[in-house]
Amino acid sequence: MKKTKQLKQTLFLLLGFCFVLSIHAQEKTITGTVTSKTDGLTLPGVNVIVKGTSNGTSTDFDGKYSINVTEESAVLVFSYVGFKSLEITVGSPNQVNVQLDEDLAALDEVVVVGYGARKKSDITGSVSSIKSEEVTAFPVLDAQQALQGRAAGVAVQSNNGGEPGTPINVTIRGNTSINASSAALVVVDGFVGATYPQPGDIESVEVLKDASATAIYGSRGANGVILVTTKKGRKGKMTVELNSNYAIQTTSNRLDLLDASQFADYTSAINSSYTQGPANTDWQDLIYTTGHTTNHQLSFSGGSDNINYYVSGNYFDQDGVVINSGFERFSFLSNIDAQINDKLKLGFNGFGSRSTKNGVSTQAVSGGRGSGDVISIAYRFAPDLGVLDDNGNNTFNSVGDDIDNPFAVASERVDETFEDIYRANFYGEYEIIEGLTFKSTFGFSSRNQTRGQFTPSTLITSAGDQGGIAGIANLKNTNLLSENYFTYTREIGNGSLTLLAGYSYQKDKTFTNSAGAEGFVTNGVSYNALDTGSTPLIPESFLSEFEIQSQYGRINYDYDDKYLITFTARRDGASNFAKNNKYAFFPSGALGWKVSNENFLKDNETISNLKLRASYGVTGNPSITPYNSLATLQSIYAVTGDQTVNAVVSGRPANPNLKWESSYQTNFGIDLGLWQNRASLSVDIYNIDTKDLIVGNSNTPEYTGFLNPNFLDNIGEINNKGLEITLSTRNISTEDFTWSTDLNWSRNRNTVEKLFGSDVDLFLPSAAPGHFLQDETHILREGEALGQFFGWEYRGVYQGGTLPQGTATFSGAVAGDELFTDVDNSGEINSSDRKIIGDPNQDWTFGFNNTFKYKNFDLGIFFQGAVGGDIYSFTLSELASGGSNATTEALNAWSPSNTDTNVPSPATREKRMNSRFVFDGTYVRLKNLVLGYNLPQNITEKLGMDNVRFSLSGQNLLTFTDYPGTDPEVSYRASGSQNANVNQGFDYGNYPNIESVTFSVNLKF
Amino acid sequence: MKNIKYLFLLLVLPIIGCSDLEEEPVSVLSPDGFFQSIQDVQTAINGSYGNMATEAFWGRKFSLPLLLRSDMVGIGDQGTAGRRKDHDNFAVSDDNGMITAFWPRTYQIIAGANEAIAGAASLGDPEERLNPVVAQAYFVRAYTYFHLVRLFGDLPYFDSPVQDITAASQISKTPAAEVYANIISDLEFAKQWLPDTQPSSALPSKATAAGYLALVHLTMNNFPDAYSEAKFVIDNEGRFGLELAADFQDLFDATKQSGLNEALFTIDHNGFRSGNYGQDYMPALTGIRGNQFGDIGGGWSVAVPSIEVYNRWDGRDYRKAVSLDTTGVFNGAVDEFMNFPTYDARNIQSAYIAKYARFTGQTSNGNGRGSEHNYAQLRYAEVLLIAAEALNEVTPGTTEADGYVNRVRARARNGNGSSFPADVSGLNQDDFRDMVLEERRWELAFEFKRWYDIKRRQLGDQVFGVGGFEERPNFTASRDYLYPLPNDELQRNPNLEPQNTGY
Repeated sequence: MKKTKQLKQTLFLLLGFCFVLSIHAQEKTITGTVTSKTDGLTLPGVNVIVKGTSNGTSTDFDGKYSINVTEESAVLVFSYVGFKSLEITVGSPNQVNVQLDEDLAALDEVVVVGYGARKKSDITGSVSSIKSEEVTAFPVLDAQQALQGRAAGVAVQSNNGGEPGTPINVTIRGNTSINASSAALVVVDGFVGATYPQPGDIESVEVLKDASATAIYGSRGANGVILVTTKKGRKGKMTVELNSNYAIQTTSNRLDLLDASQFADYTSAINSSYTQGPANTDWQDLIYTTGHTTNHQLSFSGGSDNINYYVSGNYFDQDGVVINSGFERFSFLSNIDAQINDKLKLGFNGFGSRSTKNGVSTQAVSGGRGSGDVISIAYRFAPDLGVLDDNGNNTFNSVGDDIDNPFAVASERVDETFEDIYRANFYGEYEIIEGLTFKSTFGFSSRNQTRGQFTPSTLITSAGDQGGIAGIANLKNTNLLSENYFTYTREIGNGSLTLLAGYSYQKDKTFTNSAGAEGFVTNGVSYNALDTGSTPLIPESFLSEFEIQSQYGRINYDYDDKYLITFTARRDGASNFAKNNKYAFFPSGALGWKVSNENFLKDNETISNLKLRASYGVTGNPSITPYNSLATLQSIYAVTGDQTVNAVVSGRPANPNLKWESSYQTNFGIDLGLWQNRASLSVDIYNIDTKDLIVGNSNTPEYTGFLNPNFLDNIGEINNKGLEITLSTRNISTEDFTWSTDLNWSRNRNTVEKLFGSDVDLFLPSAAPGHFLQDETHILREGEALGQFFGWEYRGVYQGGTLPQGTATFSGAVAGDELFTDVDNSGEINSSDRKIIGDPNQDWTFGFNNTFKYKNFDLGIFFQGAVGGDIYSFTLSELASGGSNATTEALNAWSPSNTDTNVPSPATREKRMNSRFVFDGTYVRLKNLVLGYNLPQNITEKLGMDNVRFSLSGQNLLTFTDYPGTDPEVSYRASGSQNANVNQGFDYGNYPNIESVTFSVNLKF
Repeated sequence: MKNIKYLFLLLVLPIIGCSDLEEEPVSVLSPDGFFQSIQDVQTAINGSYGNMATEAFWGRKFSLPLLLRSDMVGIGDQGTAGRRKDHDNFAVSDDNGMITAFWPRTYQIIAGANEAIAGAASLGDPEERLNPVVAQAYFVRAYTYFHLVRLFGDLPYFDSPVQDITAASQISKTPAAEVYANIISDLEFAKQWLPDTQPSSALPSKATAAGYLALVHLTMNNFPDAYSEAKFVIDNEGRFGLELAADFQDLFDATKQSGLNEALFTIDHNGFRSGNYGQDYMPALTGIRGNQFGDIGGGWSVAVPSIEVYNRWDGRDYRKAVSLDTTGVFNGAVDEFMNFPTYDARNIQSAYIAKYARFTGQTSNGNGRGSEHNYAQLRYAEVLLIAAEALNEVTPGTTEADGYVNRVRARARNGNGSSFPADVSGLNQDDFRDMVLEERRWELAFEFKRWYDIKRRQLGDQVFGVGGFEERPNFTASRDYLYPLPNDELQRNPNLEPQNTGY
């Protein structure tokens, strides 16, 4: 924005806000409102310039503008993305209101790319954009949840069902890694690795998918990049926006378990001396409740000629559907941009949040004595016991491992996490000469987390004998980022050239410490007085740092608005890379051809847009956490002569040649717009070869004597091939009624190309709960997709006598035991009879959204689903193993009088991986159904409002699936551990998914 | 304008400084340059001691199968994990969760010893200064391989830290005979260099090395050497500070163990633990469910002697009263074992092992899991019995051999003033041999020795057959004297084939 007038500026800095007082000069002032001809709504951000001059402005949030002209013959040009430009001669009136016609063929939205922005029509890579309306279509705690089903090739998964505050995983174009995360890199307003802002603060989300788009992020680009842009202020009077919503939530599904008398019969068949307990308890009833979510967001935005501001505050509060689980968060965001003079622009972006999570334990990694999570315990626990025994103590299980009852665990165990996140990002942008700018950003973010846990002595098996256990863990993370880059733009004849060159430095430092104690005088102190515990636990602390320094550059050349060319490269040096491989180089190139701009198509009535794209490039996945290439000694607890002594053991061998993973990606795309883009179609096909995969080498024999023999090594290659289709249509578009449809569909094929050799499987660290003691659950095998379930093929119940052809039992089996396929025909089942019994990788996924608008009403119906993808249910395996309650399937168990069944006789059984617990995870889900109403403009004006909207929506109201567990979106061990990435399709103790009904109000004034 | 440019430079320049990208892991211990003094060698050896006192080794994964495979202990709670029951029933498969859990831990104990030996060599100190400490590592290595070779036969063997992972991943098994030879040479080095006494029985002394040499030779049926090594210890008992504890009960009272002079080597616990380190599950596994005695929250009724142990053990033997719990305290009142199941259906009608659950000392964890027990790996009483057994094979009918047994019996009588067990004399060679084995059964009951005796003397068909303490029809001599190698290790290194017979 340029001003020819003299400006006098004063800058104040007050509580993070910048206020500008500006004094204007004279002349004739034209004001007016710009609206859309289609729906009559005001249009903010419309460019208004005086033709033939550089005098210009833009409309504010209310579509209002004000511009000074020197003569009545002046012509105002109104232009806006997606609308046809309009020229109006001023004449005598001081007010000029205009209506703009939608230009369906217009594509010139600006899309944010790494270190810059491009017109959408000039993009050569594969980029999906998600707009703010989609992000806020229904209330979510984390903006990432809102991405589910919105873009082809983008998979979104909760780490733990509907748990309040659970982390979300976003994966783009399949798993490109084994050991490392496949999570996409997140860049918020240029800050690499930032946390997401609140959904209401997001202007747009761009998903960079192919190498042409991501190579600018080099060693961190292989999993795709998600660029989040927050809202900025616009010139004009202050706009206040209030969004409030309230939701009621319930569990979407439960398991059918035995009641007390059925359970007693079942358990007596296992242990004849069992006597039925006194109660009949439905533990799921006791731990589940109705949840509530409240969310309020208030924002202020506006700007003067030189300063724009956007400030928002957000409050989110959720009481989960499991008793005593909840999440509360306050946050704020402020964006200030100041045009200091013709050449210099400064800006500040500030973000802060404080959250409190009340956790209940779910997805326990082990459920042995005194442990286990609330959910799986509720399934396992004897239904013939009550919450309290005759002496008023909490009951613990009468069968299997001693575990406290789920109600007691959920209501008495304390697990609170407090997290503060602050981020500040300053930038300055200076135009050195015409077309050449230098931008420097300096950002700093800090994350402080405290987690306090307390298990009171009233939980008898967990902490009764210790007299209560308390622990506190702290994490302090600081991240510092400096980005400095030049951008040069120049028109050369019919072509236009954009050059980018930059340097970046980032340093991340994490310090953790923890302490704990046992044996408390009273349970009342929780974890707040560790010193009152009689026995201190061993305190721990750890410091971890890494640095990345990088050079990057990009060339965009566009000839005659027909031919596009892009080259990108980045060189990364990182401290966490191993000694012999500190620097990595990542180039990419792409071509685009706007066929529809060629003469032979230019005036075609049907084809309004046709573009072909091709790209190839290399990106990386650093995948090495700090110090992971170094050999270690591990300090352990040891006692000699009753005294604790210093002791070390061999931790891990070194690997000085360890290097990042490299993905070589080819992408072909076509963008097609028909009938003035009433229908637009994008199709992308890609091929990604990922080499030098970093894997914990579990083929290192354990007899080598390292505490962790699975040192990281570059082993193998995997391939991902895929097809993505996005189709948007405006089926009906009349003045009163519109109907539009967005469909995205994607399919990814994942194959392990190379490991140790064709006949050597890589066994991944067991994904089974610890107390299952199953060392091997899933494998990598050449030619197969990642994370195949590996175990025995269940063939029904052994009826006694001769074994059916091709089957056998484990040694010592009797009639009623499990029958398995005898792979090696040895007549008895052992570990060599295992095979691949399931593939957790989904065949294809889709999102399907329909939006109907009738006058002031709108209706949105959003389906999302996945086809294929097996699930292994450790939950159902445990419930079939004796020593716990069982599902009602046990009523049909084998007995001498009920032999025609697939359910083995009641007995304590090893929880071996077998195909009996593999299920098809296909599902289709009505993710969101929303009915909205906007108050008519005449009413809102009377109320002094710009816009008032009410909506009622429902989330997850319908799910179609054959999966017999509670929910097909499972995620056991899908986060946290080193191999989380390949732990797909496992189900154990998931926090239940939730159904919610939400009422929302949006006010703008 | 100019000022702003300078401001810019100021903002940017300090950040651009180049980093060498070297990692400085202040929180990670590095093996490079770790060994600076003899104290560091001790710290590495302590790592092996710490690894012995983990859940995956002596805590339960290694020790429990030894109990269950004997003819003295079976499964109480039938609902307990199949991987445990399979050892009791001789139905172990090659993925048995007990074996796959202790296998890596056992080799970590060995790796610690190898690191210590290599680290000491790098110090360049004179051997007079180094060897008395390094000899502990030789002992640890021998102790651990001695367990392994008895359980697995031929096995992967290392006597130095693994440097080349690739090469180490392709080795073949070392024959058992060669492993035994290495064990003996390690123990001889240890015997040469270890001091006569140590501040604690958790550290091996010269007597420990000699005592283990006696046991190794006995296991190899090399009776002359077994005898001479045992006799070396016995003849020097004063010099080594060894004596039989006066009261047999004190040996299993965690509060009294450290004051006794009977143990030649112990795995120590001090009532604290960190994760799985320092965890002692034996009181829990052997204890009676719901038993309020000792106030540890009762046990889990997993490893329980068959009723035959109670029935056949002479009631006059003080060691029976020390070794077995025939009563428990329930709801504040003492009750007999025939009524144990009425307090918890997972209890059985049998006398329970008392050696671990009765006196755990101060325990920081439920069911005695954080006990103060120091587990004697070799007691002086056993050295006397080795001497007697070996001497009987070399020269039958000596009063010297009688005398060793009678010392053990006299101590047993000392507990209750009974006349039982009476002194032995005048037995022929076969009767004496049987008598010593029976004496070991009672004296060392539930001390993880019986299975090795059954294997050493190939008694399986007899003791698990009809009329034995435990009838185990599934016992197969051609298979069950050895464990299977963990199947996942065979997958990682097929050169470890063949698997042991029958698996």
